[in-house]
Amino acid sequence: MSAIEVVEILVYPGLLFLLVLAFFYEWIDRKFFARVQNRVGPRFAGPAGLFQPLADFLKLISKEDIVPLACDKLLFDSTPIFYFALPLTALFLVPIATQSGLVAFEGDLIFMMFIFALIVVTVFLAGWSSMSRFSIIGAVRAALQMLSYEIPLGLAMIGPALAAGSLSISTIAQWQSSHGSWGLWLQPIGFGTAIVCMLAELELVPFDIPEADTEIVAGWRTEFSGRKLALFKVGRDLELVLASALITSLFLGGAQQVGIIPPIVMFLVKTIPVILLFSFLRGIFARLRIDQMTSGMWKYLLPIAILQLLLILFGIGK
Amino acid sequence: MGYASTIKVPFGPQHPALKEPENFIFEVDGDIVVNVTPRLGYVHRGIEKGFERRTYVQNLYLAERICGICSHAHTTCYVQAVEELLNVDPPPRAKYIRTIIAELERLHSHSLWVGVAAHEAGFDTLFMYTWRDREEVMDLLEAISGNRVHYAMNTLGGVRRDMPADTFQTVKKCMDSFEKRVKEYLHIMKTEQTFLKRTTGVGVLKPEDAITTSAVGPNLRASGIKEDVRADEPYAAYGEIPFHVITAGGGDVLSRALVRSEEMLESISIIRYALDHIPEGPTRIRVPVAVPAGEAVSRVEAPRGELIHYAKSNGTSKPERYKVRAPTLANIPSLAKTLIGSHLADVPLVLAGIDPCFSCMDRMVFVDQNKDKQWIWSMEELKRHVKVERD
Amino acid sequence: MVKEAFEQLFRKSATTKYPLQKATTPAGFRGRPVWDMKKCIGCSLCQNICPSGAIELVGKGMECEIKYFLDRCLFCSQCTEVCPKAAITMSSEFELAGFDRSKMLYWYKRSGVII
Repeated sequence: MSAIEVVEILVYPGLLFLLVLAFFYEWIDRKFFARVQNRVGPRFAGPAGLFQPLADFLKLISKEDIVPLACDKLLFDSTPIFYFALPLTALFLVPIATQSGLVAFEGDLIFMMFIFALIVVTVFLAGWSSMSRFSIIGAVRAALQMLSYEIPLGLAMIGPALAAGSLSISTIAQWQSSHGSWGLWLQPIGFGTAIVCMLAELELVPFDIPEADTEIVAGWRTEFSGRKLALFKVGRDLELVLASALITSLFLGGAQQVGIIPPIVMFLVKTIPVILLFSFLRGIFARLRIDQMTSGMWKYLLPIAILQLLLILFGIGK
Repeated sequence: MGYASTIKVPFGPQHPALKEPENFIFEVDGDIVVNVTPRLGYVHRGIEKGFERRTYVQNLYLAERICGICSHAHTTCYVQAVEELLNVDPPPRAKYIRTIIAELERLHSHSLWVGVAAHEAGFDTLFMYTWRDREEVMDLLEAISGNRVHYAMNTLGGVRRDMPADTFQTVKKCMDSFEKRVKEYLHIMKTEQTFLKRTTGVGVLKPEDAITTSAVGPNLRASGIKEDVRADEPYAAYGEIPFHVITAGGGDVLSRALVRSEEMLESISIIRYALDHIPEGPTRIRVPVAVPAGEAVSRVEAPRGELIHYAKSNGTSKPERYKVRAPTLANIPSLAKTLIGSHLADVPLVLAGIDPCFSCMDRMVFVDQNKDKQWIWSMEELKRHVKVERD
Repeated sequence: MVKEAFEQLFRKSATTKYPLQKATTPAGFRGRPVWDMKKCIGCSLCQNICPSGAIELVGKGMECEIKYFLDRCLFCSQCTEVCPKAAITMSSEFELAGFDRSKMLYWYKRSGVII
């Protein structure tokens, strides 16, 4: 490992840069969501509230870490670390500042789907190990939700892979720029399905059922406090970066070099509208119930995803 | 160690779904509620005992503070009961002003409810919008009465402040813009698919159940039964103002939302009519300090339903016994019928659907079931049981 | 709903940026009551009518002093109504919060005010 690779992994575009990006995206999400609701959003910490996510993180780290007596100590202590580490690992596969991800190999799309599944398993274990009524209900709902959106998500993500003829995210991103057309207009149905499934993955309204705060306090996150909650919050922000980066790479052409504009700028230009789309969708819907969500996903979203695949098989969207 | 097949989920006294503390213990089997045990009394403040130790004028302000959001309804009910004991009739202009303030209060209470119901359903955007528009009504009330809640407009024999003619224009302009917003919210509630999915068929209260469980107010009217104290037993100026009693079939949370929103439109038209037809004249008349002995009951349609006050006087300047029956207490038994069999996710919506105001509700009475006896505590017994700081 | 939400993005936010932006009160706002001791005759009507016992007279008649307890006041302005000399007015002060209850006593002497 050369020194440059170490710097790449730890600082740019690795760990430190991703953390900064995660806080920045959370700020964008909160500001836009507030604007949709005719409010101001964060204001005091830093210019226009830019440092608010960092301030929240620092405050949480300094608070007392309360551990319930009946919890499963090993899982309770380790799930926040996993929740933080998994999106970071997945982000190394996605092209952010270079044409291909830091660690790119054939089949890393499947690895990405595996990481998504692991994240939900982590959520379930986090809720289950807390041994509180609210977290158990939240954990069970999270598992149920995963069973519903996982298949349409997989099908939607396979679409661009079929079109590009490769299972590597970086290759798919580069194929779109060399082919001259994006997955967005080649497979619009797949794009819509991917957005809806990403909303369910990120647990945003209308699918924030596992952490429905007016029903079960905070769902699977109820019993966590202090440092563990800080790790969960940062993990959620990293998931936001991951989801938008994935959608960008698969459907919007990814971080490609356009003329003299470096890839990182194109990355930002493309992922920020995706974040704004997530925030906007968060603002205009009410929360669904778990049985409505599962029936809706299986009855409507899965046939639509299958329809998209059939269209590709017949040559449309390749 | 065996596992129970049902989980007992406690709601409250502190819970994000409840705006005020009460305790409900739900037995949940998977996602379905199989049993509900309410435990009331967390907001008991000894108000009825407080009534007995203050003069009638001081009690005006105690009555106002039974609740923050239906404060005018409580003072109107109190003032009507005492005026009945005194055998005085307030001047007509005072009655019209009381009606206008009562309808303005109904407006801001119902729009608060729409926001809270949207928030329980996860629809935070509608919550922010309704509370933003509600600020217009609150500023109007502040300009008329001097405070956003606890208006202190009523007094024995009339109202304390007059409404000068230049406030009429401000009120009418505010009503015009508010009406547009309410129609917008009605449209959103009827067309937003996710909201409809959460509220249709949820917490259904059949008409016969509504009557046997003594539901009052918009909950009763959402089950199709046409009962409204303003129309059945007109008080203040309601006898002279034409208005409709809004009902809806269905009895679910959506019907309650529609009933309350359309009642808001009805309130706007009542206010407009009252402003156009308000008579000139004095706003209060003098009343004696000592109230003759007797008993009086008065009923008022608070935003949450029928409110009853009972006053008993023994000829001195302080009441002998005062009893308040708030509408939420009458709506709690219907919860047992609507909540059992629903999903756990629907519970906050159904709870919010009865528009709970637990601060109004908590009164205490001792019941001995075996001896079939009821009694209340005297002040000394209360002080012995609870540490009281000042008199 | 989509159209509504989209339009909000271009409107000024509804938040009052207090305390940088001052909150205004309308005329007739019931803030802290203020005594004009030049008019006070010490009839103690305000003390008797106050529902929460926030007013106490010290002394009698024209030499009396008024102790006003801010932490007990309801701002109902019943004292304003009942004063025969109109010596009490409701100001528009509402930023009255504090950490120390003992600082919430306003003692109106005939010469000046002691807090």
